[in-house]
Amino acid sequence: MDSHFPPLEMQSLLIIEVKVAQNKRKESWLLKKEAERGCCWLCWMLLAVLIANFEGNILVERFNGVPGEERLHWRSFLVKLGADNLKGVKNEELFVACHKSVYIVYTVLGHVSIYLVGKDEYDELALSEAIFVVTSAIKDVCGKPPTERLFLDKYGRICLCLDEIVWKGLLENMDKDRIKRLMRLKPPTEF
Amino acid sequence: MADSSGTTLMDLISSDPTSAPPPPSTSAQAPTASHQRAASPFSKPVTATTTTDRKSKRSTLMQIQSDAVSAARAAVRIPHKHKKKPVSYAQLARSIHELAASSDQKKSQRQLVHHVFPKLAVYNSVDPSLAPSLLMLGQQCEDRTILRYVYYYLARILPDTGAQGLTPGGGIPTPNWDALADIDAVGGVTRADVVPRILDRLSTEALNSDIEFHPRRLQALKALTYASTTPEILPKLYELVFGILDKVADTPDKRKKGIFGAKGGDKESIIRSNLQYASMSALRRLPLDPGNPIFLHRAVQGVSFADPVAVRHSLEIISELATKDPYAVAMALGKLAQTGGALQDVLHLHDVLARVALARLCHSINRAKSLDERADIKSHFSSLLYQLLLDPSDRVCFEAILCVLGKSDSADRTEERAIGWYRLTREVLKAPEAPSVKDKDTKASKTRRPQLLIKLVMRRLESSFRSFSRPVLHAAARVVQEMGKSRAAAFALGLHDNINEGEDVNTFAENNETEDGKAQAEGHRRIGSISMSNGAGNKDTVASLLASLMEVVRTTIACECVYVRAMVIKALIWMQSPQETFAELESMIASELSDPAWSAALLNDILLTLHARFKATPDMAVTLLEIARVFATKVPGKIDADVLQLLWKTCLVGAGPEGKHTALEAVTIVLDLPPPQPGSMSGLTSIDRVSAFDPKSALALQRLVQAAVWFLGENANYAASEYAWESRTPPGTALMMLDADKMVAAASSRNPTLANALTRLQRCAFIGSWEVRIIAAQALTTMAIRSGEPYRIQIYEFLHALAQGGVQSQFSDMHISNGEDQGASGTGLGSLLSPMLKVLDDMYNAQDDLIKEMRNHDNAKKEWSDEELKKLYETHERLLDLVSLFCYVPRSKYLPLGPTSAKLIEIYRNRHNITSSSVMRDSAAVATGISELIYEATKPSTAPVESDNNLDDDLVNAWATGLADDGLWGNNAPAMNRVNEFLAGAGTDAPDVDDENVISRPSMSYDDMWAKTLLETAEVDDDGRSSGSSSPDSVGSVETSISSHFGGMNYPSLFSSKPSSYGGSSQPTEKASTGRHTRPSAGSSSYEGYGSPISEEPPPYSSPVHQRFESFENPLTGQGSSSFDSHEEDRSSTGGNAQSGGSALYDFTAGGDDELSLTAGEEVEIEYEVDGWFYVKKKRPGRDGKMAGLVPVLYVSQS
Repeated sequence: MDSHFPPLEMQSLLIIEVKVAQNKRKESWLLKKEAERGCCWLCWMLLAVLIANFEGNILVERFNGVPGEERLHWRSFLVKLGADNLKGVKNEELFVACHKSVYIVYTVLGHVSIYLVGKDEYDELALSEAIFVVTSAIKDVCGKPPTERLFLDKYGRICLCLDEIVWKGLLENMDKDRIKRLMRLKPPTEF
Repeated sequence: MADSSGTTLMDLISSDPTSAPPPPSTSAQAPTASHQRAASPFSKPVTATTTTDRKSKRSTLMQIQSDAVSAARAAVRIPHKHKKKPVSYAQLARSIHELAASSDQKKSQRQLVHHVFPKLAVYNSVDPSLAPSLLMLGQQCEDRTILRYVYYYLARILPDTGAQGLTPGGGIPTPNWDALADIDAVGGVTRADVVPRILDRLSTEALNSDIEFHPRRLQALKALTYASTTPEILPKLYELVFGILDKVADTPDKRKKGIFGAKGGDKESIIRSNLQYASMSALRRLPLDPGNPIFLHRAVQGVSFADPVAVRHSLEIISELATKDPYAVAMALGKLAQTGGALQDVLHLHDVLARVALARLCHSINRAKSLDERADIKSHFSSLLYQLLLDPSDRVCFEAILCVLGKSDSADRTEERAIGWYRLTREVLKAPEAPSVKDKDTKASKTRRPQLLIKLVMRRLESSFRSFSRPVLHAAARVVQEMGKSRAAAFALGLHDNINEGEDVNTFAENNETEDGKAQAEGHRRIGSISMSNGAGNKDTVASLLASLMEVVRTTIACECVYVRAMVIKALIWMQSPQETFAELESMIASELSDPAWSAALLNDILLTLHARFKATPDMAVTLLEIARVFATKVPGKIDADVLQLLWKTCLVGAGPEGKHTALEAVTIVLDLPPPQPGSMSGLTSIDRVSAFDPKSALALQRLVQAAVWFLGENANYAASEYAWESRTPPGTALMMLDADKMVAAASSRNPTLANALTRLQRCAFIGSWEVRIIAAQALTTMAIRSGEPYRIQIYEFLHALAQGGVQSQFSDMHISNGEDQGASGTGLGSLLSPMLKVLDDMYNAQDDLIKEMRNHDNAKKEWSDEELKKLYETHERLLDLVSLFCYVPRSKYLPLGPTSAKLIEIYRNRHNITSSSVMRDSAAVATGISELIYEATKPSTAPVESDNNLDDDLVNAWATGLADDGLWGNNAPAMNRVNEFLAGAGTDAPDVDDENVISRPSMSYDDMWAKTLLETAEVDDDGRSSGSSSPDSVGSVETSISSHFGGMNYPSLFSSKPSSYGGSSQPTEKASTGRHTRPSAGSSSYEGYGSPISEEPPPYSSPVHQRFESFENPLTGQGSSSFDSHEEDRSSTGGNAQSGGSALYDFTAGGDDELSLTAGEEVEIEYEVDGWFYVKKKRPGRDGKMAGLVPVLYVSQS
């Protein structure tokens, strides 16, 4: 788009014109996009959510934009991090780590440990927010900080709530009630 | 559960909680269970490898088959209830198909919700054959939970999990679909069949405007976005999303923001808001379309939406668009940004990420060049940004600080950074509309006084550092680090620019206190503004603010989290300014490094930070070197020696003329350290104590010392600005006449840097380990060649003593001993030193000759004849070639015959039209020197160097400075890659957990290649060696070791290359001039033709080393031995048991138990050849009583 774009009032007029040409443009644009794919055209920034038990078994993992060959590294890195640091830690105490420009925030909840990996926008603090959402959602689902058994019993629902919290590598819903409603297939705002 | 084999997550889930105790409580079973889990694909323990993956895949497949057989027989039931066996994917799939058919029954619904769907979630993908059943369920089922699962699974089918591996879910790998297709009742359903059907269904659902259908509509829209990885579907998705937005976005939304959180409102508007949310979220997941006005328009509309998440997404979209086209975005936002506009409302939005996006948006519009004329627009956005500094959330506030500081994600520009620092220190936050007074310190904000940004920020950071949350500490330290970067940028610009402001933030403080006259005007202005905000007056200078902040930062080093500490150290490094004393920082780092919790990755990160800091402020070279030294001594095992060496080099170059001495000292102090004492933990905080407790780090320290010695030899002349060709000693000054003591005194008084370096190297050559001594000898030679007198003679004497030491005492009893020589000399360096000494000898001899000649000519008052000049010139060239083999010297300037020869050489050159550059007909190695070989190694060494002209006077300096610009290292050195990567801020790749491998980075470096080039052109010249010295030398080996030193890691190859060192004999150039330069000579001190037999005695004291030889496979071996063939075709070089006779050409003294001493002329029987050695049998036992053993191939002529 060139630098002269009319102010908001005139836009609706313009939109009609633009719409006609839009389809044509889109096609060529898509071709271009296809070429750009692979570099991050969609910002995958919450790279991973990972939940493991204390023995290092991974219970849930959601990788976003992490190549397959790196996942193994991340897995073992995180599990090792947890094994080194999470012994006898109280619930929901936050831990932080970083690797190059990637941040990791992790914590313990009941008998599971939760790891979040992110970069750019999802720095330590954003990840802390996110991990707070995740832990409180899990607590809601399980009713208390889960034991491993409880966690596994509620596995399906936990997957659903994670699905509402992290959507394609971006943090989506942070509000507890919203998440609860959406998990039950209700609209985010009740009428 | 513990008795089931191969426990996976599925096992855990399907195990019956009532019959078996939950896993965590069974502590006794835990080890076995976890052991078994190691083989399972899901639990991926630290050691998981692809092999286990494959194995488990196979076992899963087998399980499927067995399941299929058993399931065929059994009545179809949910297996869970009856068996404790884990549920297989196939079983789950089958139950879905069956239950879908009976989904109207309560019982099957329950089954689905409680057993089937949760277990299916374990698998990392869902196969398309399930889709028909899922779609059926979606159509027929009323149960909300089932429906929610249906959308969940449909969404997981949609993404194209192609090569990128962007599978949204992790988990157990889903079994091969083809295998499933055979078992499945449905069978043969592929993705291509299913995806269009799913898309159709979801699209119709997404467009269904039935109110009852509303929640499903939202979920359908969400599920659809997962298909956005397939480009063909994208246009459809855009159409859909824009279609919905057309309907819901344009209706004027009169409601004010204040009430959206409240429950209630009319149904219609809530539905609209929900749809706005869903479509905006969907739009956020679609690729950006920067040029599309509709896209922008809709995103901008989103800012005024009622739903907070929708607002966040729209802001995120806008801020991303703004990085591409800030002008368009600013225009589109128009009034929204003004006071009372929607963007102002975002300030009070509960959503943290929305405010973060707002900060980014403001930043990218603020920095846009295209908006420079629209100061009004910019001011709106910057005031928004400044208000965000007051945000209660740390995340938002820190983001705002970073934005103010001018940090950008892509490329950091120094100017922007500098401006950022300026902005932070100067700008004032003018009475915000409704200041959030979270910050308890800012009482002033209640009274709406304008506040200085810097004070706000400092207070905020200080209070953050008091937090107990590790992420907050980490983030705060990171912000301080960024602040340091901006400050450094300001310093850097302020230095060469007219702006005093860049640096006066600091000097101002002092000015303020000392009433210095400088920067008064600026100072007054600042005092004014500060006192305006504080009222208290001039105590709050930027420097004092910074000082109090840094005090808090320093205390944070007590945090037990090592990552926080690392960040704090980085922040301190960045905040360190060249003028301040760094003793505190240094001791802090030193004590930190003693903590074993530090991982190698983190330490190297800090080392790289030092690099980055150096790049920003070259003045700090010395400081940084001092800090780097701490790393070298404290954690030699954990740091990357290459990166450290690079840091040394760049710092040395950057230290400037006056700092060079200190810089070199900082490097060489490593050498002065006492050897590590195992087990001594006493010197925890002492910097000068080596902490190498374990063998691994002791080894690493060893390597580091070698690196330091090499570095010293290579750079001492540069650091001391003392070159033979630019000697400070005027030509003809006969310093040699002095005796040694006076000479040393004279030398050290003249150039303490070089003298110090010399002393250190001499010390190393005596007391270092074997490897260090080798390098030290080489380094000394390099210095001898490069330095003028008296340093050269000083080194020469030293080397001579080193080489001779012990030999003479051995001479007497050598023949009565059993011949077992403990090496070439007392120091063990004799074999290595004699070629070096020979070169020096030769130079001195030639110089003597020249002086004699000149005297003769002077006395006889006759001109130099052309013939004589030619001879002189040839000697000059020959010596140059020789010298160039040892180290780089600029050929056009270097005068091996001494300064006096300059005139004569010049005459000859002029007479014969030889320009100094055109005479370089020699190999790449000679022409370019060792370091240049990084580039030249690939060239055939016989090829003439084209770029002669580059080798001009200042080449050495240029070469050295080139390092600073990465010129030399840019492409090749692995360390440089790391540094560059770090500087570019890259790094999302996975961490390497394996701590064992931190130092064993494979580095196939140029030295090997170089050795190869030498070997390929090598020509062996078996000249008479009449000297009684029992240490035949190998120039080749000298070269290899010099160069291979730098690679650091492949030391063994130096020793394993016996055959290669035979080959690595002489330069092709020697052939013409000196190849047959044979002259029987009595002393080992005189040069006997450069292409003298190049053979190598095994290193002295090497019996243990020697055992290793056999085990080393030297890649060069083949090359090496093939090069002998020129004159040894007759000998069976292929080894084997080809027995033949032969006779010893020279005396050979065994260097190890398996070697055999020979006397020249002795008849032997050659058994076989191995790696350049013959296994021979004598006819009768020798003096030592041995009959058979190994001798170097070249010592025996085959008959």
